[in-house]
Amino acid sequence: MATVDLNSVFVRYDLKKEVIEKSVSTSKDVLLQAVITAVVDGDEDAIPGAVNAAFAAHDPMDIIKDGLVKGMAEVSRLWDEGVYFLPQTIISSDAMLAGIEICEEKMGKAMDKKGVVITHTAEGDIHDLGQKIVNALLRANGFEVVDLGKDVPVDDVISAVKKYKPVMVTGTALMTTTMTAFKKIASRLTHDHNELPFVCGGGAVSLEYVNSFDTGIWGKDAQQAPGMAEDAVSGKSWSQIREKYNG
Amino acid sequence: MAKYTKMAYDSAEEMIFGTAKFPVKYGRDFEVGGGIVYPELVPHPRPGSEETKKSLMREYERMVNDALERAVNLGFPGIQIELEHVWQMTKNPDWGGDIAGQTRKQQEDFYQKYGLKSAIRATIADNRKPDEENIRDCKSLELALKTFESSAANGADNLSMESVGGKEISDYCIVRQDIRGVLFGIGVLGSRDMEFMWKKIVDIANKYGATPGGDTDCAQANVAMFMAGGMLDKSVPHTFAAVTRAIAAGRTLTAYEMGAKGPTKDCAYEDPIIKAITGIPISTEGKSCACAHADLQGNLIAAVCDLWSNEAVEYHDMFGGTTPAVFTEILGFDVALMNTAIALGKAKDLQEMFINSDLYRDPHSFVVAPHNAYQIGQALVANNTDYYNRARAAAVKSAQLILADGKMLLSNFEKEVLQKTLRELESFPDKESDFIDQCVNAYKKVIPGFNPANYGL
Repeated sequence: MATVDLNSVFVRYDLKKEVIEKSVSTSKDVLLQAVITAVVDGDEDAIPGAVNAAFAAHDPMDIIKDGLVKGMAEVSRLWDEGVYFLPQTIISSDAMLAGIEICEEKMGKAMDKKGVVITHTAEGDIHDLGQKIVNALLRANGFEVVDLGKDVPVDDVISAVKKYKPVMVTGTALMTTTMTAFKKIASRLTHDHNELPFVCGGGAVSLEYVNSFDTGIWGKDAQQAPGMAEDAVSGKSWSQIREKYNG
Repeated sequence: MAKYTKMAYDSAEEMIFGTAKFPVKYGRDFEVGGGIVYPELVPHPRPGSEETKKSLMREYERMVNDALERAVNLGFPGIQIELEHVWQMTKNPDWGGDIAGQTRKQQEDFYQKYGLKSAIRATIADNRKPDEENIRDCKSLELALKTFESSAANGADNLSMESVGGKEISDYCIVRQDIRGVLFGIGVLGSRDMEFMWKKIVDIANKYGATPGGDTDCAQANVAMFMAGGMLDKSVPHTFAAVTRAIAAGRTLTAYEMGAKGPTKDCAYEDPIIKAITGIPISTEGKSCACAHADLQGNLIAAVCDLWSNEAVEYHDMFGGTTPAVFTEILGFDVALMNTAIALGKAKDLQEMFINSDLYRDPHSFVVAPHNAYQIGQALVANNTDYYNRARAAAVKSAQLILADGKMLLSNFEKEVLQKTLRELESFPDKESDFIDQCVNAYKKVIPGFNPANYGL
């Protein structure tokens, strides 16, 4: 290739924007800090050792609250500030959930969840990666996820809503010709006087389309899902959530 | 199955747009890779039109007519139309077949009236669910094969697919930056599924006199590339996505080893590597597929193309006409420039401009630039003892190339990711069977539904 000056051709904004910030220590307790560090580093292998060691001085609920969840909060901060990419967040979430499982085993019961969220990928669509990311982020933020999977018929979504009584439903679709199922789901739910927030996103799903039917809230990316679910738990209506995110 | 053990070209310099070592002729006086580049227009129906066969056929009739009419109005020599199946066209084999038949009649009409050269690619949807069913014996497979038959019987010239084997593993691993799983999901499982699928597709194509076209790692490497996104995105590291692309070349090559002839699928960004190895004509997409997604290799990816595509554009009105007409115009003038360069003996000059535009814009564009694609191809064929080793060699070479070129600037984070990825790749076992054992044990534990039997394991 010829040697050329490319400054007039493109600008590498990614190099200008790089954030080099490390995580901050967030506990004075050495045992809890080890748990936090394992979560922040996404080191699932280190979790059993760190959590089991912490049982010597802390009860399981404290380890969850002041170790695992606190570590995940630090991960969220690093992601929000552009230090972490999605994979670092996902593997930290895996580590945190592994730790919670150990604590729950110790407690003999599952920890209380903030609420149930039903997630699905539209009928005819097998592209469910976006949904899986939503699942991971919701679980990492304390929600119980009922994962209906991919290629889910409208009837199955309606039945699951009746069965699990969620605070929110999400739908993912890659293609415009499969997202048409979302309108049918919203229509069936509102017909049953159920005005659950119904967050729809993925691929070619547009704000214009999702806002064309009642209860529909357009999700720009998976990262928004936990915040929307928090709003639903706090009692915000679908129209208030739509106004906040799509307004 | 004969595996590629040498390159079709003596050097990257020999590769150019519009010409392939093994041109393909089909359709209405349509030759791909025979000296000029043609546009490949991909229209997409509006939501709601898929409700009935009648409404979907009418939608396609309008879209195809608008494209052909614009091609004639602007004096384009020829065009390929891709019928990229929405789910309903494959779920109902008669829908896909009848739309292919309708498109053939429209193209014949324009050929007879005006002499417009044309061809049809039918890309059948792969609706198999690897983590939920036996993908070698399921309803979705049965319907897909029937739709290949109905499409070929009704006039599709080129049969293509975007197969999904190994996606259950690669989806899990791409978002965890787990290169072992990506190599396993794409390089090993994806290739094994390609071998299974393409035996069947080639048989069907031969039965009906159609051409087995090609496949794309859209379900995997494109997931990584799209998630990596633009310069401000923080989803998947760009260096990781670039290495994933090199792995995809090993997987996509399987179609051609099984008998596919090309032209390849437009969204297979690994295609420059495929052309270097096979000499088969390729379809690519870049700046003029902005209707479907953003692209960091908008010009570069045209460097060795034989068809030039828009990926997909939904049917709507614009000031300049309907979207199929507008994008036919955009693609048509893109290739007119390339064909002018060929006619004037300036093709290598234009190619150099294409390449320099984007070579250092992103690691992804860097690895699919012809000179790098060629070296990745060389690594692949030199290690073509099994699917694992060839994909691994391609991955290692891509990482080495990025790290070795000081002009390919990387952020500290991206560089660390790449160095870690390379270290991991080099640490994997040499024997494919050892790698497979390691991966089966690891991923069966964490990916519900992963069934090695789906891949003959």
